[in-house]
Amino acid sequence: MRNILIIAHSILLGLFLTVGVNAQTIKNPGVLVHAADDEATTLDPAQVEAGEGGETVILQVYDRLLEFGPSGPELIPGLATTVPSVENGMISDDGMTYTFEIRKGAVFHDGTDVTAEDVKFSWDRIVEMDLPEGQAGVISDIVAETKVVNDYTFQVTLLEPSASFLNSTVVSMAASIVSKDAVMANGGIVEGEPNEYMAQNAVGSGPYKLKAWNRGENILLDINENYWGNKAKLAARIEIGAEPDVRVLGLRAGNYDTIETDPSFVADIEGADGVTLHTGGLLLEPIHVGFNLNIPEGALPKEDTIPTDFFHDPRIRQAFNYAFDYEAFLYGPLAGFGEFNPHYLPIGIFGHDPNAPRYGAQDKAKAEELFRAAGYWDNGFSVSVITEEANLFADAALVLKDSIEDLNPNFRINVLAVAEAVFDEAHAQNPVEYAMWVKNADPFADPHPYMSAYQHPDGEWGEVHGFANGYRNPEKIAELIDGASTELDVKKRAAMYSELQKMLFDDPMWLITAQEGVTMAYREWVTGFVHNPLWPRPSLRFSYLDK
Amino acid sequence: MQIRDYIIRRLMILPFLIIGTSIIVFALTRIGGSPIGIYLSHEMSPAEVQEMKERFHLDKPVPIQYFYWIKGVAQGDLGWSGVASAPVIDVFPKKFAATMELAIAAGIVAVSLGIAMGTFAGARRNKFADHVIRIISVSGASMPLFWFSILLLIVFWVWLGWFPIGRSDPNLFEAIAHPTGFYTIDALLAGNLDAFKDAVWHLIMPAVALGYGATAIIARMMRSSLIEELQEDYVDAAKAKGLPKNVVLKKHARRNALVPTVTVIGLTFGFLLQGTVVAEIIFRWPGLGRWMAAAVLRGDQATIMTYVMFTSILFLIVNLIVDVVYANLDRRVELGD
Repeated sequence: MRNILIIAHSILLGLFLTVGVNAQTIKNPGVLVHAADDEATTLDPAQVEAGEGGETVILQVYDRLLEFGPSGPELIPGLATTVPSVENGMISDDGMTYTFEIRKGAVFHDGTDVTAEDVKFSWDRIVEMDLPEGQAGVISDIVAETKVVNDYTFQVTLLEPSASFLNSTVVSMAASIVSKDAVMANGGIVEGEPNEYMAQNAVGSGPYKLKAWNRGENILLDINENYWGNKAKLAARIEIGAEPDVRVLGLRAGNYDTIETDPSFVADIEGADGVTLHTGGLLLEPIHVGFNLNIPEGALPKEDTIPTDFFHDPRIRQAFNYAFDYEAFLYGPLAGFGEFNPHYLPIGIFGHDPNAPRYGAQDKAKAEELFRAAGYWDNGFSVSVITEEANLFADAALVLKDSIEDLNPNFRINVLAVAEAVFDEAHAQNPVEYAMWVKNADPFADPHPYMSAYQHPDGEWGEVHGFANGYRNPEKIAELIDGASTELDVKKRAAMYSELQKMLFDDPMWLITAQEGVTMAYREWVTGFVHNPLWPRPSLRFSYLDK
Repeated sequence: MQIRDYIIRRLMILPFLIIGTSIIVFALTRIGGSPIGIYLSHEMSPAEVQEMKERFHLDKPVPIQYFYWIKGVAQGDLGWSGVASAPVIDVFPKKFAATMELAIAAGIVAVSLGIAMGTFAGARRNKFADHVIRIISVSGASMPLFWFSILLLIVFWVWLGWFPIGRSDPNLFEAIAHPTGFYTIDALLAGNLDAFKDAVWHLIMPAVALGYGATAIIARMMRSSLIEELQEDYVDAAKAKGLPKNVVLKKHARRNALVPTVTVIGLTFGFLLQGTVVAEIIFRWPGLGRWMAAAVLRGDQATIMTYVMFTSILFLIVNLIVDVVYANLDRRVELGD
């Protein structure tokens, strides 16, 4: 019986390896078929979470005032005809006022004209709705006032000068421009309540029109024949819910044109007939281990022996950073697709200093020296790290466990790999009742959101995790982060981030395991393939593609 | 007690049983913790989490949460499915129809093939055809569904490209209305032959994968029953009367052999429903099984509670029907005492 099973499995493997189609036979002509990872939650720019599946559709069906171009962080005009600058007079000298000339002739999918009134309405709407799952803060944290100057001129006044306004706020999916008429005819604006119509429909002005959203099956996008810019060449169909293996099989068979995948499937894709593996570039979502400096008394799991102020000591945080086996993670779970990353400013983001010191290699001797100095070497410790199960975060937690326990038999790391919903609930507590966790960051195009959210002692997470309890000089770090956000001189700003990176090397609040590489796969018959990590995942604008 | 009085009495008790069941189901799902996690992302701040709790009344004590839930149910609001990103009441009927259509199609495959194969093998006991069918039956009963499904997927979707996955061609799907949720029936109602063919075409692979295991069980049962029947005296008598072999087999022996087989067919429907979870995941079939598996893994309590309540109520109603039918069949049974 065992032999029969072995033979059967061999046949199956053989079939799998011979899978392939004639590369010349284009399947599904006229339609780009993309196999997505999961379902969208909402299509409303005022409700969508950063990094969520709905952003994939919003990118295609809505326009913003400005967009990221195809080859990186450069901004190109969207519904605004010009990228504002001090030189062209559309940014005031004090950096407080931005003027946008709105494109004449742009129309929404419902046939109404796009005007400055729609732009103001769209931006004000997200702030007024202020949904907890949405990204109202992208606008409300930075914008003091929006103003319609005339039908085709829109003006924004900021709370303070900002170096990140254009490439963080204006291009964000939350700042997509919706049809005022469509919203007002379908529920209008209610503070704190999602708009059901907008969650399930899309009335934008982008190169695609939403044709249908068949939940659990597919999302169909039609070409917008009235688009003001370069029209899409292919209609698009986003296939939802295929298992990762099925997506790979579908790509190899030519049933899918592009798929979302991860490094663990590279071996199944490499060398497949008619398939191109795109591995250029890096994702902007550093995978990190968090240290809790705000542990409530008596809250930790009973296995944990550490005191609540364990991570207040910078030597402990440094020791963890030196002890981690970066190579094991990069060349194991990431299959070599990625880079060692020094800190919270990912490679590819303005201000990243390649010469700044970094924890890119395991140094056991240094880790031992620091643990000894902190007084934990002889008696050891036990600490739990919580993470989502069955993904790269769990892998990173296991590498951490191996790294630390290999250092000293008295050290113990308990990996708690739990369902995503359980992790999200645990991580959303204030204060968090675990000493450590593993997850990734949201991607941003500007250094300020990274620094503000993840390093500032009074920032979104700095406050929750008690960073002020552990920084050697929290005032200086806060001053640098705040100063860099309003510094409009590019050189001065870069120097400030460089100094921050040096300080954060000595005083790390995270352990950055790696910066994951891009692994996209598509059929060779797809032409015009461009991938920009600054676009929401899968970082593709379908309108650029043809086949 | 008269059957009519018994039914009225049971129907009057039914709401109390349903409420009791709902309390138990609600309490059991809440033992696993708050369902708030399904509505969160890992980047939400504690303040945002609190707002989400307030939106779904999860900031209230559990008994009050039950009150909101049961009030919603009474108003046709079964909650929000985090997995489907839609109200449960909108999604459930569609998923249920998809699963039932698949299970019925698999049942048709299993019954037609099972009876045919069992008859063929039973009539040729210990001959080559019998051995072949027994091997097919044993492999069908022992082969893991996921493995067989992947094999079909590779051969017929990827390699040969004969059959699609998913449930329908999106353009044909859009072309017709869907009053029943059963695409085959909807296509016939719309008089759209292309849509009907497309719906059947999409059904074939998952139905064969799912029905194969049941085919094997039915075929084996049919074969052994038929062999037993063929050894009975009445078969010899029929042959002695000079009836053609085919008539003896089909009109006499097979008819009697079907009695125990039909019992097995009834039981296999439950087996098919269980199998839909795996088949739906592999063939990207948007049914109840795939939805429920994701709901359990991700803690989507609104979906889980709806499903459990639905099956509980179905069970209560089926039980009532069985009692009544049983009493009708056997007059010695006293109802209601």
